[in-house]
Amino acid sequence: MTRNFLKLAGASLIALVGATSISMAATTITFWHSFDPEKPNGKALAEIIGNFEAANPGIDIQSEFIGNYNDIVAKLQAAIPAHREPDAVIMEVTRYGLFADRGVLTDLSDYVEKDPLKNDLFDFAREVGMFKGKNYIVPFNSSTPVLYYNKDIFARAGFAEEPALKTYDDILKVSKQITEKLGVEGITGIAAPGQFARWGLVMDNDSDLIDSKTGDILLDSANTIEAYQWMASLVHEHKVASADGVTDEDMGRDAFLQGKVGIMLNSTGTYVRSKKAIGENLAVRPMPCNKVCSVPIGGAGIGILSTAEQDVKDAAYKFISFAANPESNAIWFAGTGYMPINKHTADQQKAKDALAKQPGIDVAISQLDFARGRPRPPVVTWMRASEYDLWQAMALGQRDVKEVLTEFAAKTRAEAERLAK
Amino acid sequence: MAPAPTLMQNPPGQTSSGCSPTGCPMVRKLLPYLYIVPLMAFIAVFTYIPIVTSINLSFREWDFLSPTMPFVGLENYKLLLSSTEFWNSLRVTALFAAFSVPLRLGLALLIASWLTSDRFETRLLRGAFFLPSVTSTVSIAVVFSWVFATDYGVANELLKRIGVDKIPWLQDPRIALWVLILVNTWKQIGYDIVIYIAGLQAIPDELYDAASVDGGGRFHVFRRITLPLVMPTTYFLLVISVIEAFQVFTIVSVMTHGGPASATDMLVNMLYRVGFVLFDIGTGSALAVLLFIILIALALIKSRVIGRKVHYEA
Repeated sequence: MTRNFLKLAGASLIALVGATSISMAATTITFWHSFDPEKPNGKALAEIIGNFEAANPGIDIQSEFIGNYNDIVAKLQAAIPAHREPDAVIMEVTRYGLFADRGVLTDLSDYVEKDPLKNDLFDFAREVGMFKGKNYIVPFNSSTPVLYYNKDIFARAGFAEEPALKTYDDILKVSKQITEKLGVEGITGIAAPGQFARWGLVMDNDSDLIDSKTGDILLDSANTIEAYQWMASLVHEHKVASADGVTDEDMGRDAFLQGKVGIMLNSTGTYVRSKKAIGENLAVRPMPCNKVCSVPIGGAGIGILSTAEQDVKDAAYKFISFAANPESNAIWFAGTGYMPINKHTADQQKAKDALAKQPGIDVAISQLDFARGRPRPPVVTWMRASEYDLWQAMALGQRDVKEVLTEFAAKTRAEAERLAK
Repeated sequence: MAPAPTLMQNPPGQTSSGCSPTGCPMVRKLLPYLYIVPLMAFIAVFTYIPIVTSINLSFREWDFLSPTMPFVGLENYKLLLSSTEFWNSLRVTALFAAFSVPLRLGLALLIASWLTSDRFETRLLRGAFFLPSVTSTVSIAVVFSWVFATDYGVANELLKRIGVDKIPWLQDPRIALWVLILVNTWKQIGYDIVIYIAGLQAIPDELYDAASVDGGGRFHVFRRITLPLVMPTTYFLLVISVIEAFQVFTIVSVMTHGGPASATDMLVNMLYRVGFVLFDIGTGSALAVLLFIILIALALIKSRVIGRKVHYEA
């Protein structure tokens, strides 16, 4: 009995020491992201993490799906004072400025300078990571909004050939025809544009929300107001977009995926999901060019928290660099539809296959000629969070667009001043 | 040989350390407090410290990220009390409470009266009514978002089949709050029913028998016997449900985000938005303190106005 007990105790001790030494050897990186593990984006990320861990047995990535970009911002700011923040985090490209400004994110400039990756990244991908001359994030998922449409709905609405989809008028005309012909089946012409698409439509109208060069607030400029008036009219005046997509943006997208909507303006990162849902009926076209051709570059990059230990930071940067290499980027591009950020991604077989077999996946790339990075001063986080409620009021016809945007511009200027103090 | 003396046997009373045969006086005094230390520590960490911290933060300007949090005095309170958003939120929350609480309690008492007997089918129905209470509020809110979607929802599809036009349930400011009241009632009523059943079962049968002998009708019996005797339960549920109504958040956050046009922007939703979306922790904390004061005031009013009319014995 005693001998057995001693044997068991000895074995346990050896196992404990072994396990401890293994866990001591591994560097663990907690990584917060916004990609649902059940969806194609989450699966592609899991594959990249798996490949990284296989290539770096001493590093363990503890990835956690937090929610959308807004959820990450909210949870991160609550986690920081509680000292529960992760080591690395996905941050949307216009909203990391506040965190960089407050010293929450590590300046990655030295890492990037020493990394051969810097020469392989496209210029737009380098630019989106820069804030006040320093590099705070390395892009992982870059996107532009694109125009998706359902070929079957177009055909049933009477479009024998693809109609023009260049201007606001073109889109309204097509949306009206779809709603008139197929409204009885519960089909609407267009999904109410989500915030990313709204920003894109403002840029198409030769304006912006904030001037990317001067930082001036342009919410009350004539072209921005005009763009919002048009977007709001789709819902409350022409009734070609369902109000359900205004109060819940995901509902507009989901209705498109279920074949209940003719046109959707959304991120290229929705490509693979849309393709899976609609199949051969999915068509992808560039965003409209109402007054000019101009689209915003969206998506997110990975940053490292300044509170992480040095060895964790080193390991986290290794992961960031790995995630942006041609092999990983090809997995990501083919698995999601997000744009390649690495110049050599297109040479990878996976990327070649995707370009050959997934028509439309290249539309976002073709828009890069007129794609622009967006400003990211600290006030953008506040502005984007506040815009949702105001959009609701405008789109549902409850408030006048000009009045709302004039007031919003004044408030945003005041908030920018407060944050600058 | 006599056994060695022990502490208990140490007459007439005290050991060298000052302890009596029944224990040390100091330890005796401290023991009750020691028993409640774990619970007090738990409450302190999760209730009192957050309250004090919140009060402290309400006098400061902070965004969660800055290393400093300058003292701004009553500025956050002034900002709130002069903002239309706060008064709108207070109005909406008060409306929600004013309609949802009587609806909940009235329906619950009615259903509970029907489910008091101990038959198999009533036990089954009790379980069915209670089920939403133990279901995730987020799940319920997501499902009802789809039920009440204007173009894609089940509710309008059913209305369409009987020839009624689409109703913008969650997009019309005049309707959205009522939808939330309905969903909240559906979610919470099971708990109220269970508590009411317990209260109703505690009423002695003799009273009903006596009333029956005296020829009292059903309504008369309900008004003269059931209602007064179930008053302690009603009072308890009233206190709980008013607090819940003022703290409602999840269904608002998931179903309407406070919209449309702030028509459902209740106090806790505004608190979340100000603090966790707009990064203004000082104002968010000031709002939390005001909510705390409002709830205390309401509890006092209820205690003065209704509490005195509550009798705990038949």
